[in-house]
Amino acid sequence: MASTAQPASSLKRRDAPVTREGDQLTIIPLGAGSEVGRSCCYMTFKGKTVLFDCGIHPAYSGMSALPYFDEIDPSTIDVLLITHFHLDHAASLPYFLEKTTFRGKVYMTHPTKAIYKLLLTDYVKVSKVSVEDMLFDEQDINNSMDRIEVIDYHQTKEVNGIKFWCYTAGHVLGAAMFMVDIAGVRVLYTGDYSREEDRHLQAAEMPEFSPDICIIESTYGVQLHQPRHVREKRFTDVIHTTVSQGGRVLIPAFALGRAQELLLILDEYWSTHKELQNIPIYYASPLARKCMSVYQTYILAMNERIRNQFAHSNPFQFKFIQNLNSIDDFTDSGPCVVMASPGGLQSGLSRQLFDMWCSDKKNSCVIPGYVVEGTLAKTIINEPKEVTLMNGLMAPLNMSVHYISFSAHADYAQTSTFLKELRPPNIVLVHGEANEMGRLKQKLITEFAADGNTKVLTPKNCQSVEMMFNSEKMAKTIGKLAEKTPEVGETVSGILVKKGFTYQIMAPEDLHVFSQLSTANITQRITIPFSGAFGVIKHRLEQIYESVESGTDEESAVPTLLVHKLVTVKQDSEKHISMHWAADPVSDMVSDSVVALVLNISRELPKVVIESEASKTEEENEKRAEKVIYALLVSLFGDVKRDENGKLVISVDGNVAKLDKQSGDVESEHEGLKEKVRTAFRRIQTAVNPIPLPGS
Amino acid sequence: MGTSVQVTPLCGVYNENPLSYLVSIDNFNFLVDCGWNDHFDPSLLEPLSRVASKIDAVLLSYPDTLHLGALPYAMSHLGLSAPIYSTEPVFRLGLLTMYDQYLSRKAVSDFDLFTLDDVDSAFLSITRLTYSQNHHLSGKGEGIVIAPHVAGHLLGGTVWKITKDGEDVIYAVDFNHRKERHLNGIVAESFVRPAVLITEAYNALSNQPPRQKRDREFLDGIVRTLEGGGNVLLPVDTAGRALELILILEEFWAQRNLGYDIFFLTYVASSTIDYVKSFLEWMGDSIAKSFETSRNNAFQLKRVKLLINKMDLDNAPIGPKVVLASMASLEAGFSHDIFVEWASDVRNLVLFTERGQFGTLARMLQADPPPKAVKVTMSKRVPLVGDELVAYEEEQKRLKKEEELKASLLKQEEARASYGPDNTSDPMVIDTTNSHAPPDVAGSRGGGYRDILIDGFVPPSTSVAPMFPFYENNTEWDDFGEVVNPDDYVIKDEDMNQTTLHVGGDIDGKLDEAAASFILDTKPSKVVSNELTVQVKCSLIYMDFEGRSDGRSIKSIIARVAPLKLVLVHGSAEATEHLKQHCLNHVCAHVYAPQIEETVDVTSDLCAYKVQLSEQLMSNVLFKKLGEYEVAWIDAVAGKTENHDMLTLLPTVSKPPPPHKSVLVGDLKMADLKQFLASKGVQVEFAGGGALRCGEYVTLRKVGVASQKGGGSGIQQIVIEGPLCEDYYKIREYLYSQFYLL
Repeated sequence: MASTAQPASSLKRRDAPVTREGDQLTIIPLGAGSEVGRSCCYMTFKGKTVLFDCGIHPAYSGMSALPYFDEIDPSTIDVLLITHFHLDHAASLPYFLEKTTFRGKVYMTHPTKAIYKLLLTDYVKVSKVSVEDMLFDEQDINNSMDRIEVIDYHQTKEVNGIKFWCYTAGHVLGAAMFMVDIAGVRVLYTGDYSREEDRHLQAAEMPEFSPDICIIESTYGVQLHQPRHVREKRFTDVIHTTVSQGGRVLIPAFALGRAQELLLILDEYWSTHKELQNIPIYYASPLARKCMSVYQTYILAMNERIRNQFAHSNPFQFKFIQNLNSIDDFTDSGPCVVMASPGGLQSGLSRQLFDMWCSDKKNSCVIPGYVVEGTLAKTIINEPKEVTLMNGLMAPLNMSVHYISFSAHADYAQTSTFLKELRPPNIVLVHGEANEMGRLKQKLITEFAADGNTKVLTPKNCQSVEMMFNSEKMAKTIGKLAEKTPEVGETVSGILVKKGFTYQIMAPEDLHVFSQLSTANITQRITIPFSGAFGVIKHRLEQIYESVESGTDEESAVPTLLVHKLVTVKQDSEKHISMHWAADPVSDMVSDSVVALVLNISRELPKVVIESEASKTEEENEKRAEKVIYALLVSLFGDVKRDENGKLVISVDGNVAKLDKQSGDVESEHEGLKEKVRTAFRRIQTAVNPIPLPGS
Repeated sequence: MGTSVQVTPLCGVYNENPLSYLVSIDNFNFLVDCGWNDHFDPSLLEPLSRVASKIDAVLLSYPDTLHLGALPYAMSHLGLSAPIYSTEPVFRLGLLTMYDQYLSRKAVSDFDLFTLDDVDSAFLSITRLTYSQNHHLSGKGEGIVIAPHVAGHLLGGTVWKITKDGEDVIYAVDFNHRKERHLNGIVAESFVRPAVLITEAYNALSNQPPRQKRDREFLDGIVRTLEGGGNVLLPVDTAGRALELILILEEFWAQRNLGYDIFFLTYVASSTIDYVKSFLEWMGDSIAKSFETSRNNAFQLKRVKLLINKMDLDNAPIGPKVVLASMASLEAGFSHDIFVEWASDVRNLVLFTERGQFGTLARMLQADPPPKAVKVTMSKRVPLVGDELVAYEEEQKRLKKEEELKASLLKQEEARASYGPDNTSDPMVIDTTNSHAPPDVAGSRGGGYRDILIDGFVPPSTSVAPMFPFYENNTEWDDFGEVVNPDDYVIKDEDMNQTTLHVGGDIDGKLDEAAASFILDTKPSKVVSNELTVQVKCSLIYMDFEGRSDGRSIKSIIARVAPLKLVLVHGSAEATEHLKQHCLNHVCAHVYAPQIEETVDVTSDLCAYKVQLSEQLMSNVLFKKLGEYEVAWIDAVAGKTENHDMLTLLPTVSKPPPPHKSVLVGDLKMADLKQFLASKGVQVEFAGGGALRCGEYVTLRKVGVASQKGGGSGIQQIVIEGPLCEDYYKIREYLYSQFYLL
């Protein structure tokens, strides 16, 4: 911390990464960065990595539809969180799970998981691409089901120290906004969300905590939605007028999600308008029919209104809506309402019906949601005179086209109020066309960033956003060590235990109490043949060790010696002595020397006292130590010189530190270097100098 | 010092009475569970009534009578008014259970302890949480986090984790560690080393046969009876274990393709199953998986038929059948009536799947040997006819009149009271004694005008307005004309909610019709009872399908959770004492089993303080990884942080740190060590007394802690002995490699 105060920037860079690397949070959109489609957002912080969403781009096919997975190493990802089942948020999951090195965990909500399987199986069936372009097959989807884990709204999960939970997001059944907490830094990823309650879904919730970063969708940019009831009225009016004039209504809609909302509206409208009840409503999607049971089951993920209705009858058992399996079952006789997929009119049933009906001006087409650039639906919103049919012919576009958006994405008003309440210091915009996003960014900057405390970022795909979070590491000292809170200057020594991102300091004897770790004491006992007099050992030991205490064993009353307060030597019998001690590096060493000594005696060798060794002067010792210290420092820092005062001058990258060998004091302009030299010198000294007695 | 924690049992200790405990955490009072028994004995609730008003929050763990039965009564009669927390299934199934209890009681007695409205209003104040949702309390409970966790046993069953300042208090009763057909088991790993564990001794002495064997016997018993032409009665709870039994039967019937009818008969059977169908998120993995992959909802019942009144059962085709009927205690409900009908036939079978509550008919029948005959009271609610009806109506009329009379008297009284003193001193008032306006007219309309007069003098309450009604049109004007409230012109957002209007928030919307007829039935009726003796000739079997962990598993779970302090509740005195002794010997030194209204203080004697770890210190720390832990030895100097007065730890400057005794960290398992040594080519074998002989001479022993497993253990003591030889040093080296040296 002190090192940041230094202005020396070149060195700061050098030693900063070591300590700071963990404090940098990186966000890289792998998809949906300044575009709509293939949502995928990578985030890493303190060595923990989270991937949000894993979609495909609906306008492309094959590998080019995937997010840029090659930018990252999938094996490093700990958790993958899927917000909802739409293809642009979930469809590359089987590929990612089965064809990459990703080994982490995948989470999604219960309804998302149930619909995901149906939707992707259908997607594999209908996408008519060559085999080599197939990203995955049905088997891959089935395999992926086993690896997906489920999470309920508000449920807190923890994986590798990453805590996360989710909130309702509106949008579609099972849609979630994920809040991720890594070491106290919170990131909210909204996915697609809507703050407006509709017929069956709750509005997106307001998280109870303000996140440090909010990664938010920007599909609708600065646009404003009409109020819901106005849209609903326009919708029902268009349909009512068309069918009462004998026309047909085509509603191209994506099979799942908003379609169910529209069906609820239609079913309700029909039940209150008797005159319409002889006009059929068809819902042409076998897939959606399969998914109906999911809608009928996960009532708890919907709003109060549906739950209350459920008390009487299941609102997803429609009264006026008939299913249509294929165009062959459909007899085109007179007015009707048909809801068919796909929503973009690219192909399939909705396109077939469009081709049949587009030239009759009695008919209408209602486009009920966001349409992706490059699809026919997007083209006809501008009401061109002519359109190209599937068979390549041109036909006049006479049917009336209405664009009434029911797509449950937040508009500007919702986004701005949401952010206003949430107050995140960093806003990252994803999932929006570049232009819309730019406009939203400008508007948000004027609204929030005027005070300079809020950053709004719009990274493109693969462009990384880096942020620093200087998180303070807090530890809790517990147990015996905490009996007295230390005063400033007192030492604290103990075991630092880290689990996830929590630190605890405790005394070794408390380790088993506060963690699942246990400690052990190893007592060693060794017998050595020795037939000499016990006194000889004592005498010899006294020559080497300062502290040799003699005593008698309590049980057998044999004489004992306690060497260096660590090792007990005992005369077991005439022929043997035994030693016992508690395992410890120092005691082991002492015991080894005792063993060597005893063996020496028993070999009856004459005592060879190497006078030269013993008489080695203190000075010589010191000289040698000095040499060693110098050599070690050179190997560590490179440029080490001796100055006139006998101090060592260490220079690294233009920074100079002076080291006093006697006191260990270091002088330097640069805190980081000073700290390093001091640590190095201390360690060298402990290695070079004699071992002090324990407890001294 | 740590957070103060006190536990006071209110009901259900040293016996099998319903559960209800007071847990105070830093003076925030939690009532955990609020149970009652099937007798609805108010005397059981006396301790609760003394503290009801002090309670700050209620936590419910299971949707059965024993865990939440007293809630409506406590809310309506004992002054309990705290917010309540439970999971969604506990809320919904608990509500249905209480409906069923009420209706069963009401059908046979003049039950008046609580009404359906009491039930509704009690349950409406429940806040619903999902599993492992951390709910932060606010206000008085600031800093406390509560989180429900999976407990098994019943759908939505909860182990509560209450956390304050990093210390956990766990309330875990009736849990089940086994996975069942529709439920997951408890995950003991989510509760490691809590400060306090409150658990029960209910099953401490019981042992369960293997599940498969039990299931087979269960099904064999049923099929044998059916083949012999008899009926099978399974007395069950309303919405708890019954679900598991239904799945067992459903599965078996489909497997064998049996044609016998199965009926599930409670007052709320069909709505129970309807709701359960939408609770897939709360069920076990296999159920969720089968729905996700093939959309098969396990509770889309094909064989079991749902009935909500006994008439339908009587009208069912004659022949052997299986009936699951509530209540499990046979004290009331359909099971009681059916038992009386079927008991005298030898061919029939009454199969108890849970231990009956103490003192109930079910418990009596579970005795060994079973009684030959039992006395029962048959009661029936019958509509009044003839003279009785006339008498009733007269009585009603008289009551009504009396009430009216009382009301009018009261009014007059009031009038006189307010009128009396004012009369003379108030010349402005028109002589009110002449005005015969009915008091209610003045009450509803007069109020508004009277305000005009109130300034200066007080008119008597009975007076009509002394002046012609005049409404002051106080519109506001500004520079642009009359001030307009834009809200008046907003198109009301009603369209969507129109349809919901008739739905409203009425909680009992789905109450079955038969049930409704009872509630709505205002037809005069009375209860007719007669005592009769039933010859018990049918076979009686008791099998444990309670879905609770057995004694052995409870002990091992407690050992794994390894609480610092343990409080034992609920369970016979014998079982409580047994478990207490066991835990004292094997788990921890602080085991409490308080009596009713005895407060035990389980405040942890833990000291703790917080420090900041400075960058300088942390950059020099070398962590060693041990499973999910990382450990390091630190020597630091305490210092102050720059801006706030937090303690911070700085590295020791200049002087080398004082040496410390080295610590060996790691958990040594002798068997693992043996394997390891063998892999290194050392001859190893276990000698007597847990010693491990390595090679020819060296012996390794673990002393002192052999009997204590898990967290309760202290420091491991390992002894290595041998003569001076090469092997000794080699083996010592291997032994060291099993530990981390700090």
